[in-house]
Amino acid sequence: MANSTPAGDRASDRRRRLRALVDERRALLVPGAANALTARVIADCGFEALYVTGAGVANTLLGVPDIGLVTLTEMVQTVEAIGETCTLPMIVDIDTGFGNAINTHRTVRVLERAGACGLQIEDQVFPKKCGHFDGKGVIPVGEMVSKVKAAVDARDDQNLLIMARTDARAIEGIDAAIERAQRYIEAGADLTFVEAPVSEAEMRQVTASLAVPQVANLVVGGRTPLLPQPALAEIGFSIVLYANAPLQAAMRAMSEVLGALKRDGGLDAVRDRLADFGERQRLVDKATYDALEKRYAVE
Amino acid sequence: MPSSEAPSRETPTLRAQLAGPDLVVAPGIYDALSALIAAQAGFGALYLSGASIAYTRYGSPDIGLVGMTEVADTLAAITDRVQVPVIVDGDTGFGNALNVIRTVRTFERCGAQAIQLEDQAMPKRCGHLAGKTLVPAAEMTGKVKAAVDARKSEDFLVVARTDAIAVEGYDAALDRAGRYLEAGADVLFVEAPRDRAEMDGIVARFGARVPLLANMVEGGKTPLYDAAALQAIGYRLAIFPGGTVRALSRLLAEYYGSLKAHGGTGPFLDRMNMFDALNDLIGTPGYLARGRAYDGANFGDDA
Repeated sequence: MANSTPAGDRASDRRRRLRALVDERRALLVPGAANALTARVIADCGFEALYVTGAGVANTLLGVPDIGLVTLTEMVQTVEAIGETCTLPMIVDIDTGFGNAINTHRTVRVLERAGACGLQIEDQVFPKKCGHFDGKGVIPVGEMVSKVKAAVDARDDQNLLIMARTDARAIEGIDAAIERAQRYIEAGADLTFVEAPVSEAEMRQVTASLAVPQVANLVVGGRTPLLPQPALAEIGFSIVLYANAPLQAAMRAMSEVLGALKRDGGLDAVRDRLADFGERQRLVDKATYDALEKRYAVE
Repeated sequence: MPSSEAPSRETPTLRAQLAGPDLVVAPGIYDALSALIAAQAGFGALYLSGASIAYTRYGSPDIGLVGMTEVADTLAAITDRVQVPVIVDGDTGFGNALNVIRTVRTFERCGAQAIQLEDQAMPKRCGHLAGKTLVPAAEMTGKVKAAVDARKSEDFLVVARTDAIAVEGYDAALDRAGRYLEAGADVLFVEAPRDRAEMDGIVARFGARVPLLANMVEGGKTPLYDAAALQAIGYRLAIFPGGTVRALSRLLAEYYGSLKAHGGTGPFLDRMNMFDALNDLIGTPGYLARGRAYDGANFGDDA
């Protein structure tokens, strides 16, 4: 939608904005979106960046858990749809890069073209093996270093941020996880993301040990303490992900409203829980399309 | 659009063809046009080669870069256009057994009549293009079982391929094939036997129990035989997956070379379909006739 996009707002501009935001290291709150509507709501609420969550795409697009069933093509389509109607910079979850270093190279090129501004790649094993879903496995550090290098080499725009995530904390401990993050920084990662530190002390250890901007992932029910944003800023985090809060909220809201509909045969009891017609059209920017229709009307 | 396909009768299912007396020959295809031309040539089955999609759509080698969605899109475009049964190359199933389930369901819905799954490790590793690595036999057995469980129709066949000859040796490869057969595979594909004796051994061990697939790769490790010879050996299905693009790439190089050299297509005209011939091939007259049938004038359009 050219009309709803401010002049000069190209993907390269969004990437420049994201890099500047990251460099401020002020614990920027970044909610997750799995579709364009969620992205519109995130922008409407005044957030400055968003995160395209692979888990959310698995849950919403496919209705399946986050076990590696979403394909690169499906992520690309999601990212393109979001970028078309939402001008916020997007950090995109690319899981393991969809394979080895060569697959990662292709993944970065395709998603950069689709409009991603940052890419998060993790060191989990791919593909996940049946029967091991409870325990995460991590690939050897050298293999992940190769993937990070491939990602850095593949980008065309140097402002496309490569965010390297390690899941080693749960397996090898916090010191080993920080050591891995250090290796990924040496390989060219712009940010690192040590997943699931279990205490404030470990969170401080992460930010004190690693020179590049750091990411905290706050998951309700997860292992990392849910500290308020000022505390996370004081600890020194740059980005604070709330990857699935919008989806979790929507799931609850849908269940409650639909439960009432099934129970009562109508929506009277929950009417105040629904966006009204005007609110709905505002969120999808109908006014802009109405104006376009008028402008291109056949005389 | 069955009108421009060569077989006017409904093509029998691949399962029915494999139960018949003649070896089934499936040439490689990579898009709906190649599928249409192969169908018009009279083949009873077609093989949608992952390598050929990588070659033609991306100009890239067959190293696991093509995603499941990309194969599914290609497959759906083909089955929308031709009725001939399509065997789709499912590579490793694009992941573990759970990915296999999604892949099988997607490819069956997109109209394939068979999926080929192989026991190579995924993704193929950088720098090891010549050296194949395998998943453990038990893991592949689980994938074959997952594929069999995931299909909706018995007429969707699971072709289990083992690449083990080059990695673990001939005997180990046959043992793997035996396990995949027990897991429910409908067709066995022991890849790259190195001579006639190895081919005979595969047939001796499995030929009476399950249809066997032979893969003819020009310049590959297996001696090249024609359909009659492969039938005599005891195979039931022969694929010629890469030959199509090997022929096509040569032809395109000659065409482009001629155009560049001569600045025109005159010297090449005798090797080209003229405007009407190409339209006939892809069925343009039939489409236009159907368009006329739905013309508004037939339904009281005031204009």
